[in-house]
Amino acid sequence: MTEPLLAVRDLQKYYFEQDSFVDSLLGRDPTSVKAVDGISFAVERGETLGLVGESGCGKSTTGETLLRLREATGGAVTFDGTNVFEMDDDELKAFRRDAQIVFQDPFSSLDPRMTVGDIVAEPLKIHGIPETTDGESKREWRRDKVADLLERVGLSANHLDRYPHEFSGGQRQRVGIARALALEPDFIVLDEPVSALDVSVQAQVLNLLDDLQAEFGLTYLFIAHDLSVVRHICDRVAVMYLGNVVELGPTDELFESPKHPYTKALLESVPRPSTAEHGRRVEALSGDVPSPRNPPSGCRFRTRCPQVIPPDDLDIEQATYRAVMDLRDALAVGDVNPDHIWDAADPDRTDTEAFIKEARDRHVDAELRGEVAGVIDTALGHLAEGETDRASETLRERFESPCETHRPAVGDASHPAACHLYEGSDEVTVIETNAGATAEADD
Amino acid sequence: MADTILSVRDLSTRFFTEEGQGNAVESVSFDVEDGEIFGIVGESGSGKSVTALSVIDLIESPGRVTQGEIWYRNADLAEEFRGSKPEAVDGDLVDIRRLPKGVRRSLRGPSFSMVFQDPMSSFNPSITVGEQIAEAVEVQRRARSNPRSTRSRTQGYGLGSLLVDSLLPSKSYVDDESMDRAVELLDQVGIPDPEDRADEYPHQFSGGMLQRAMIAQALAGEPDILIADEPTTALDVTIQAQILNLLRDLQEQEGMSILMITHDLGVIARMCDRVGVMYAGEVVERGPLADIFENPVHPYTQGLLGSIPDVDDPSGRLEPISGNVPSLLDSEMPDACYFADRCPKAMTDCLTRIPEYELDGRHSVRCVLAEQEYDPADAVESAEAADAKDREVSADD
Ligand SMILES: Nc1ncnc2c1ncn2[C@@H]1O[C@H](COP(=O)(O)OP(=O)(O)O)[C@@H](O)[C@H]1O
Ligand code: SF4
Ligand code: SF4
Ligand SMILES: [Mg+2]
Repeated sequence: MTEPLLAVRDLQKYYFEQDSFVDSLLGRDPTSVKAVDGISFAVERGETLGLVGESGCGKSTTGETLLRLREATGGAVTFDGTNVFEMDDDELKAFRRDAQIVFQDPFSSLDPRMTVGDIVAEPLKIHGIPETTDGESKREWRRDKVADLLERVGLSANHLDRYPHEFSGGQRQRVGIARALALEPDFIVLDEPVSALDVSVQAQVLNLLDDLQAEFGLTYLFIAHDLSVVRHICDRVAVMYLGNVVELGPTDELFESPKHPYTKALLESVPRPSTAEHGRRVEALSGDVPSPRNPPSGCRFRTRCPQVIPPDDLDIEQATYRAVMDLRDALAVGDVNPDHIWDAADPDRTDTEAFIKEARDRHVDAELRGEVAGVIDTALGHLAEGETDRASETLRERFESPCETHRPAVGDASHPAACHLYEGSDEVTVIETNAGATAEADD
Repeated sequence: MADTILSVRDLSTRFFTEEGQGNAVESVSFDVEDGEIFGIVGESGSGKSVTALSVIDLIESPGRVTQGEIWYRNADLAEEFRGSKPEAVDGDLVDIRRLPKGVRRSLRGPSFSMVFQDPMSSFNPSITVGEQIAEAVEVQRRARSNPRSTRSRTQGYGLGSLLVDSLLPSKSYVDDESMDRAVELLDQVGIPDPEDRADEYPHQFSGGMLQRAMIAQALAGEPDILIADEPTTALDVTIQAQILNLLRDLQEQEGMSILMITHDLGVIARMCDRVGVMYAGEVVERGPLADIFENPVHPYTQGLLGSIPDVDDPSGRLEPISGNVPSLLDSEMPDACYFADRCPKAMTDCLTRIPEYELDGRHSVRCVLAEQEYDPADAVESAEAADAKDREVSADD
């Protein structure tokens, strides 16, 4: 197999923010936002790799960091065999020519005071192109080149002297694409290039991108949140969740046989524009994506995963286990307030039974039986006494999941999934253990 | 067939701006039936939001509703105005455009309520979420006794206006009873630990949670019709799924009707019983979901459906509509079908204003193809179209 055009290894990008002036006075550690936290993938020559995930999962940060538009916190990126983060000035200059980016927002990514002609010519000027011309001035040469480029992206040469505000969103996005093409790159990061466009115009731009790829042999990293667009345009897809790649595979395989529970949930959620969709009730994931400031231990998806794995020795239905884990998460983030439960159950605060019943009604969305009910009630009893930590600890001791103690990452298979359900195959590798306080779960 | 709760007839709304007169909504008609979800779909600028705001009487200067009737079924109002305003009453229906301003305003909440796309700018950032919902509860309660005292500190939100802040009293504006009801509403829309969340400020909520809170606020008046304008557009797809489930549950529990506005045909398909497709201020096609998706007649509807990639089927090239969404400036609107300059089937007969044709009782379309086959011999490339091709971009070349 030939060497990929771009290879990303364990890429990390943390944003550091000092919480406040007081924090810095007191010398407190800056909090870090783990926007991208150890991801690896490769982009083969001539292919389109999709990077898909919900807002804030680190897609744009990945694109910008691998282009060295932001400084990486860790990891390595190789482009055409050279480590991007260690390039010398000449190498970097060549890289800046060969690798381009198109941004999402066609309204803010073009300088409103420059004509379209100047916008598209700018990269040529910066790179001193052309070096020589025969006869005509360099300016004329660039003007001709820009006119060609504009026509190639479906605009007309007489748009040269107009300003961005005179164009519609779709046309501006074409200007952005023309600018990215000016230096005849090999590789383009397309960061949500059609997300701001209406569907009829979006389709025009997607077709254009297809044509340009075929014509110039381009390699794309296509960042998007719209799964239908990704399915349409990508050869392979990487799915991101909270700074991690959770699944990676050939597009058809990934859409037809998704492996990771998050990918499954994403695909399940997409509303299909067909009559068969009518009234379809989606098993929606519960809750929100946790903050990248304080991501969950182990598998980052475990706070929402419908398949989160119970301890081996516990006999429990999956839905019940999810409900128990939701209770634990709610306790952890402070969504369980014993005062409110007492107020509703027994304002005199004596009837612990009533408290437990009310707490179960409010916070445990499942029928409880046997051992599970026993442990929950014990924990809720602690909660009734105001001992929240003890309640949490009681639950952790019995219900701790391998998904919270061990972090899965995508393995070396051609269609890997970062999930413990695939343990034992080369689809997943366990890269980190962070067992709870008492249970040393390393094995 | 279910009864009609809302019947909009020939509604037009104009904006009188420095650039000229903008025809944002042009002679729009549709009905919403009891307990149904009626969808309006179209691209940005097609007039979806302005239609909604016109129904709920929230069009502000320089805009004005210039014509049309908005019939709303309400036996009490019909009874009240049968004598004094017979022209505004038809059976149990009243034309709310002809009712006195104060009465019309008092319908906001108990009759019509609205959920907007961007929950963050729809809440006052300096008041707790609970208080804002309690206030909606309170306003409703007062409106019931005295329809004219319905000024609130959250008025203007959702329309992006922050002006009222400074004018209004602060704190302890709402009583305990309203606050309890607010907590109940937050609970009903699935906000965990609602007692505590009620005391938090909008910025402490995630986008999805705030959208739930806005829905809770909209439910405060127990509306007959909930207007939801792109309620999930700003949300991620897994959160969108939660909100769509919630809206459907609430619709069933409360037996209300929903007017659902979106650009997303997938959302329309999942949620709506009937659909109106808007283009350039007009409803160009209208009918039951299956008619619109499986037998679309209008070339714009067909083009829209052909433009969306299919998540279940990667094959084939997209077939976009060429050109761009038009401006709605009156001076630039042709005396022709507004879609003619982009339409692959434009004929000489299209160069006049096109009426709405009924295909059968439920399916109507504003296109000559309702009555005649496309005849290539009559094809036009109107001056308009040629002009546009020069100015704009044609997609597949
Ligand atoms: N306050 C306003 N002033 C002037 N024009 C407006 C105003 N609000 C909306 N419009 C115009 O009305 C048209 C329809 O807008 P809108 O209903 O928001 O479309 P949609 O909701 O379908 O995206 C657009 O041309 C828009 O620019
Ligand atoms: S590792 Fe566990 S929590 Fe994570 S996706 Fe797999 S089953 Fe779900
Ligand atoms: S009326 Fe004519 S131009 Fe308009 S949509 Fe129908 S066929 Fe096309
Ligand atoms: Mg809108």
